[in-house]
This record gives sequence, structure tokens and C-alpha cells, in this order.
Amino acid sequence: MDRSLQHAFDAEEVMAYLDGELEPQRAARLASHLEHCAECQGIAREMRTVSGRMLNFEIEPMPERVTAAVVAELNSPTKPEPVKVPDVRRKMWAKWHELAANRKVWGFAAAFAVVAMAIAIGSVSNLRRSREAANLVSGRVSELSAPAPQHQQAAGGGYKSWLQKDAAELQASQQALMSESVMNTVQRAEPAPPAGPPPAPPEEKLQSPDQVGPMIVQTASLSIVARNYDEASEAIGKLAKARGGYVEKLDAKAQTGSARELSIALRVPAKQLDGFLEDLRQLGHVEQESQSNEEVSAEYVDLQARLRSAQATERRLIELLATRTGRLEDVLDVERELARVRGEIESMQGQSNLLLHRVNYATVQVELSEVYHERLQLGISTGTKLRNALVEGIHNLEDGIVGALVFVLDEGPAILFWLAVLGLPVWLIWHRRRARLAAKG
Amino acid sequence: MQASRQPLETMNTDEQLVLAFQGGSREAFEELFERYREPVYRFFRRRLGHPGRAEELGQECFLALLQNVARYEPRASFRSYLYGIAMNLVFAERRKAGREVSENEKLDERVDGGSGQATDTGILVREALGQLQNDEREILMLREYEQLSYQEIGVLMRVPVNTVRSRLFRARMAMKEQLVAIKDGD
Repeated sequence: MDRSLQHAFDAEEVMAYLDGELEPQRAARLASHLEHCAECQGIAREMRTVSGRMLNFEIEPMPERVTAAVVAELNSPTKPEPVKVPDVRRKMWAKWHELAANRKVWGFAAAFAVVAMAIAIGSVSNLRRSREAANLVSGRVSELSAPAPQHQQAAGGGYKSWLQKDAAELQASQQALMSESVMNTVQRAEPAPPAGPPPAPPEEKLQSPDQVGPMIVQTASLSIVARNYDEASEAIGKLAKARGGYVEKLDAKAQTGSARELSIALRVPAKQLDGFLEDLRQLGHVEQESQSNEEVSAEYVDLQARLRSAQATERRLIELLATRTGRLEDVLDVERELARVRGEIESMQGQSNLLLHRVNYATVQVELSEVYHERLQLGISTGTKLRNALVEGIHNLEDGIVGALVFVLDEGPAILFWLAVLGLPVWLIWHRRRARLAAKG
Repeated sequence: MQASRQPLETMNTDEQLVLAFQGGSREAFEELFERYREPVYRFFRRRLGHPGRAEELGQECFLALLQNVARYEPRASFRSYLYGIAMNLVFAERRKAGREVSENEKLDERVDGGSGQATDTGILVREALGQLQNDEREILMLREYEQLSYQEIGVLMRVPVNTVRSRLFRARMAMKEQLVAIKDGD
């Protein structure tokens, strides 16, 4: 079935989310969706598995001789020799030299150059006017963007000096804006990023399964028929609480004619799981029991690696904002990127915490039911039946009377009218015949 | 030069370092080289297989950077610029040697497999990567190994970001299937 019909997020978006390439708002929604959607969790798991396995393609360290060669070139007082060009380029250069040796080619080139110069001279004035106009607009933008000093064209400075001055003012205004932006960013970023090469954040060591031990999510399920349902249902929550756990979800059913059932999901500390299961077994007869363990070490390590990478990126971006001068658009781009990376970090931290919680707290699903005793079902008494029949009879009589009245009121006038219309001639005929017979007799 | 007198401690970003190097700071280049020597070597090593050729191209990449550093403009990230050079060298290498390189790579892969450098899983991954389409493999490797963003990959591969995303997804799905298929085949 098409996923798009069932999901607000397609599989590509799940991947982009894991890569930190989804917009923050969309990423937040997907993170929430991911907590509950087993299908999307499966996709995420597949993606992480592929990424994790690809890391096994390891490469040995770079040989030192390469470093020595590069450093030697760097130390060389002469200009480093050109990098070897591919054969294709070499062939192009050879063709170019052949052409250069041909006098006719030079003649055509000279003629072309004369024509091109004539065209260029004609267009220079237009180009200059358009650039002056563009710089005037740029200067106006600078004045509006920041309280930069108003530029004044230096007397006798010429076009070039005016242009340089204008560019300097524009840069000054951008720096002023950027500084403000950086201050805001640094104030928001707690703690302040350490100075130094970004690719090596020393304070956070990557946790591998060897260091933290295998991370296992434990799940257990029990179906218990309780000897005493009421006591057992009360005891489950108390037992979980006594072991530092809690009830996550509870669903009770008590339908007439069937046994009462209690479905309860509990979270107990993983170390307490065995003891807690033993406690539960004392509550009644265990009809079914199962346990499953899922190792999530690789997932956790992968998550930590991505988190660390994102945090390093965040630091780099903050440093970039703090130290780089450039166009206002670039600064805004970096700001947007920083917001995206922060969203990604928060999302990954949330996932990491969730994963740790799943590891630290085992999930126990208990289905508790009582021993059902069929109860004697007493029928409705005769008195009740008679009473019900009487009440029903009265209701029927009432309905009949009301129905008759409604009929008379509804149809009576029409009946009387037609009786008058049709009955009067019949009565007159009958009356005359009767008079005629009386006269004869 | 103003930039060369600036203390190195304040030149944290790659772009600042390049600008300082453009201004004549030798320390700036050394810092850049220290940051990227291993990633660049791994870049070539994973794509060419031949350790010696990967060394040579790694060296050429930094020499090309040395020679063309004046052309760098801080509009693009330095990482994109550096991997752009590296990518061009790889493409040129593949074009130049053609089938000869392919044969050498196959030979080198066999040598690597016996040298003990590559783990069993690493060999499986390399075989699986070899089964992918060229463009999808390149995008996948740029993302997984060079950790480039979709935007940076798009610039390098000259395709839109959405295309990067869809190809990356296809590549990961294909990679998953290849890994399973190779494992089952064993």
C-alpha cells in the first residue's frame, strides 16, 4: 500500500530527518510521529544500520611521506611545480600551441581584436553608467541598514576611489549588523563555544558499546489468571512502585457475562525486572509468559556520533558568525543553518534520552483475568411481566384513541362534505320515489 | 600583510585560514593541512583502491590547493572547494586510465583484502558500494564518509538538492539490499 496514503511523512523525509536536513518545524513533527509509528521506526532503523555498516569501510592512516612532500613544496623557495594535468588538458594545450604557430590564425586574431576593441569602447560608457547607478543603490541600502557614516564623494577622488569608499561603508554596515547578530547568538549558546580547531571536541568522548556495555531494551509479557482478581489488580501497581517502576497504561474490562480483565503496561528499572516478574507470578496462574531483548548499542552509538558531529557543526557555525566578515545574505544563511543544526541537536538529544529510558526501564505487559464462575441468570418475574403487559396495553389504548381522534379531525370535514354533496341527491330521489309510491298506494 | 600578522589562535574557521594563507601565512596552511590530510587521503583511498595512487592524488590535491589558493573566494565553504578539487582529480584519473585503472583497482582490492587492513565487513561494504550506480554511489559516499550536507553535495555534483536527496535515498536502499544479498551469497 502506498505509504503516502497512510503517512504524513514519506521515507525520504525520515532519511532527511536523520541526516539533519529537514526544516526544524518539520523535523519536530516527524520526531513526534517517529515515537509512535513502528513503520517509520523501521525505516529509521534501516537507515541507521546502513550508515553504521558503512563505517566498517575503514582506511589506514595517511603515510607520512605525503606530508613530507607537501611540506617540502611549501618550504620550496620557488613556485611549486604545476600539478600534473590530465591527458585531455595536455592535448588541448598541444592543439593551442599548433594554432599559435600558424600566422593566418594570428592575422584573424588581430582583426578580431580590433573589432572587439571598437565595440568595447562603445559599451564602456554604458557599463560605467549602469555600475554607478548600482553603487548608488548599494550606498542607499547601506545607509538604511546601519548607521554608517554618510558617504561623500571625495573631491577629485575619481570613480575608483568613490567606489572603494562606498564598498567600505557597505562592509562596515554589514559588520555592524553581523556583530549584533553574533552577540545574540553567543548569548543564546550556553556554554560559550571553546576556541580551537572545530573537528576535535575534546570534552565529549564517543560512547561505544565496549565502554558502556551492551545496551539492551528488555520487554516482558505475562498472562495471569488471578486467584483473587481484586487483590491482584491492586497489588500489581504497588509491586511496580515498590521496585521503582510505574504504570504506563491501564485498561480494565468488566462486561456482564464474562470474566473481568485488566490490561496493564508497566515500566520497571531493568535491574529489577527479574524480581518484579517473580512477584507477578505469585499473583495467580501464569498462562503465558514471554521475554524479548533488543540490542540497541549500534543505534545509540550512531546517534551519539551524529549528535557529536552536529554539536561540532554548531560550534563551527558560531565561530563562523563570530569571526567572518561577509555579505549580509551570507550571515543570514549561517543563522538559518545554525537554527537548523540546533533543531537537529535537540531532536537527537530527545531520541538519545528516549533510547536510554527504554534501556533503563524494561517494559512489562500484564494481562490479568479472573477465574470466571458462571452466575445463575434469574428471569423476569411474572408480576413484572403482567405489569409490563398492562403498561403496554394502556399505551396501546392511548395510542388507538389518539389515532382515532386524529383521523376524525383530519378526515372528518372532508367526509361530511362529500356525504352532503353525494347524499343529498340520493335522499331527494329516494324521498320522491317514496312519495310517488304512497300516492299510488 | 594584515592577515599574516594575525595570531593563529583567532583563525578558527577554514575560510579564515585560507584567507590568512592567501595573505602569506604559512602556519595557516599547515593548520589546514593538519585538518584535512586524513580526510582527503581517505577520500581518494575509498574511491581508487590503489594505496599508492591515493597517496599521489592526495599530494596533488594539496599542491593544487597551494597553487590555486589565490582563486579561492570565501563565498563557498572551504570544504566544498577542497573536495571539488579532489573530485576533479578523481574524475580526471578515471577518465585518463579508463579500463586500465579498473583492472588495477580490482587487483589492488585483492591485495588489500589479503593485507589485513580491511575487515570482513569492510570488504562487504566495498563490494556493495561497487554494485551501486556511479552517481548514487558518489552521493552516498560524500554523505557518509565526507559528511557533506545535501547542499554541498549538490554543488559538487552539480545537481539540485532535491535530486541529491532522492538519489541518496535510492542509494541507501540499494546499499541495504546489496549488503543483504552479499551476506546471503556468502
